[in-house]
Amino acid sequence: MTNKDPNEKTKFAKFSNGIATFGRGIGAVVNALYDGGRKTIDMMIKNVIPFIAFIALIIGFILKTGVGHAIATGLAPLASNFGGLIILGLIVGIPVLSPVLGPGAVIAQVIGTIVGALIVAGKVPPQMALPAFFAIDVQVGCDFIPVGLALGEAQPKTVEVGVPAVLFSREITGVIAITIAYFASFGMFPGH
Amino acid sequence: MHALATGASYFIGLFQEGGKVFMSLSKGILPTVIVLMTAVYATIDLIGEEKVEIWAKKASRNIITRYTIMPILAMFFLTNPMAYTFGKFLPERYKPAFYDSAVSFCHPITGLFPHANPGELFVYLGIANGVQQLGLPIGGLALRYLLVGIVVIFIRGLVTEKITAFLTPRVLGEGYTLEALDAQGGE
Repeated sequence: MTNKDPNEKTKFAKFSNGIATFGRGIGAVVNALYDGGRKTIDMMIKNVIPFIAFIALIIGFILKTGVGHAIATGLAPLASNFGGLIILGLIVGIPVLSPVLGPGAVIAQVIGTIVGALIVAGKVPPQMALPAFFAIDVQVGCDFIPVGLALGEAQPKTVEVGVPAVLFSREITGVIAITIAYFASFGMFPGH
Repeated sequence: MHALATGASYFIGLFQEGGKVFMSLSKGILPTVIVLMTAVYATIDLIGEEKVEIWAKKASRNIITRYTIMPILAMFFLTNPMAYTFGKFLPERYKPAFYDSAVSFCHPITGLFPHANPGELFVYLGIANGVQQLGLPIGGLALRYLLVGIVVIFIRGLVTEKITAFLTPRVLGEGYTLEALDAQGGE
């Protein structure tokens, strides 16, 4: 009895430790999920839903007034074929234009939503969606280069050379991106 | 009076149309995005930032992983705009190329992982919503957007790295080398 007692205690201690570790694990997971939910809803209320309200207002106006027709006739020939998308990409990638078009990706999002409406209307074939993503987005982040570099702790001279480097690079890589996406879109929607 | 009434109903009609767009956008996509984002945020929380930093440092050493794995990790775990802070693991000469590569991934990733850039979802969703309304599946579209995005950020990294090297003596003065660029602020 005196020999057995300490042995049993350690066994019990191990068991209870196991339970405690398991409990902590469950607690951490539940906590992480709950935090994730809270973060998501915060993000929805602060960023996503306001943007939906903004874009719904713009698109509502565009659909209801004659503006939609004008934009559609201008954009449809650009968005419906490969050459047009390249032209669109070259325009939004122009080094003096791209930093102006960049902020908040608002322009890309509005053009994207209009292209989506053109796809529904049958004016742009659905497989053009993939190259269109890259054509409307050649200017991505061009407004943010100095800040983005500063976040990466870049030195002043690096920013000085980095800004033009990224801007000029886009005119080259924009065309490459649209071309790759165009060929990658083959067979995406068989029968369409 | 009749003209006024017509005018009023046209005025209201403008916003009713907007309301319909609002409902179709919120009803169609938001619920899935909310649940997905919750899961991803929880996963990121459980993995922890220290581990991700170790992976990113490893990825920074190789030219291929520097413009693929590293920006992907940055965008997935740190999200826009904190993703660009991973530039700190690189020498100065690669920073513009890394930024270009990482920022170009901030929309292709949103098709499958909207948590990475929730403020700018409509670059993807605007177009994808149109495709969906035709009754076509958008899973393939989201996947292809991600995969082509990875190829594109790799090419962008390479090209911008070359252009940075080309521009350094031309912008900062003859004889300014990449080594001088790297040595700024240090020592």
